[in-house]
Amino acid sequence: MFTRPLLLSSKLELTRCFKFPQNGMSQYPSYYIKPIYSNDKQTDLIKSGEAQKLAHVPTRAALNDQTSSIYHDDLICLLVNYLMKDGNKLLARDLVEKTMEKIKRVQLEKYHKLANEEEKEKVVLNPRAIIHQAITNVKPILQLTPIKRGGVTYQVPVPITDRRSQFLSMKWLIEAGNEKERTVRFYDQFAYELIDAANNTGRAVKKKQDLHKQCEMNRAYAHYRWS
Amino acid sequence: MRILPALWARGNPKEPVPFQEILPLKLRPFVSGKGDKTSNVCCLYEMSLVFGCLKENEFKESACGREIKSFQECFTNYNKQKYITKEREAKGILTPGEKRLPYRQLNKLLRMYPNEK
Repeated sequence: MFTRPLLLSSKLELTRCFKFPQNGMSQYPSYYIKPIYSNDKQTDLIKSGEAQKLAHVPTRAALNDQTSSIYHDDLICLLVNYLMKDGNKLLARDLVEKTMEKIKRVQLEKYHKLANEEEKEKVVLNPRAIIHQAITNVKPILQLTPIKRGGVTYQVPVPITDRRSQFLSMKWLIEAGNEKERTVRFYDQFAYELIDAANNTGRAVKKKQDLHKQCEMNRAYAHYRWS
Repeated sequence: MRILPALWARGNPKEPVPFQEILPLKLRPFVSGKGDKTSNVCCLYEMSLVFGCLKENEFKESACGREIKSFQECFTNYNKQKYITKEREAKGILTPGEKRLPYRQLNKLLRMYPNEK
């Protein structure tokens, strides 16, 4: 007779103590570390002697886009993921690869048309470098958030984190690539937009500057920021 | 310990008013967490510098590298500091000699040194 309520109370204690695990829905327990797949990082770890420590720590399996290939690029992987629709990664990757091919063709054409050797050296032929430059050029430094004060919604300029600004930059570049005639291929338009953005011109850069101008116009509301 | 209903229950007194101890004459052993919400307005001065520079240079960012950098550093520092204080509060670590205590720490201190009965 006495054991039952005791048991029940201990069960209650258990339910009160239970916390949802930090790793959410992951199939791995929280002590599993993420894989270090980059070649440079691995050599660094071996040099510093950290690799010995990590050798027997349980590690997650690498995702299918995480490779130690020299062609791997974190930012471009992210771009592929942002471009992807309905989980169709094959198509998204194909589009990005074709974009890079187009950039290369356009830049090579520019290169061969130039007669001057000095000017030729200035043309960037690496499509990856152009994509990186385009993304850094389109990154905004502020954004607007709607904040309600006294029944009126104000657009208040607030600082943004680096990751958010990177996301907005890629989003605007992709949107600029999608604004085209029906007959034009996405990868062609996207390549032109990326080259324009790398030269600090084009629609995506215009969008960033518009945002900055609007932030400047609403600078008086900046102290409304709260919570 | 509802104050208003207790006062209503008292009715309309006549002179001289006899003293009645309706509520116990001591302070509550806890504070509410309401007043602890600090505003997250940060880096306003840096932002104004960025705006001034951008307006001068017709929204060319290359001319305002210094201002933008200081603004972004300010924001990242602010976020880092916020994260650290939040973690400390969650752990409930008491820092000796701190002037503005968060409500959790205040409650902890009040529990450590309760009212005399």
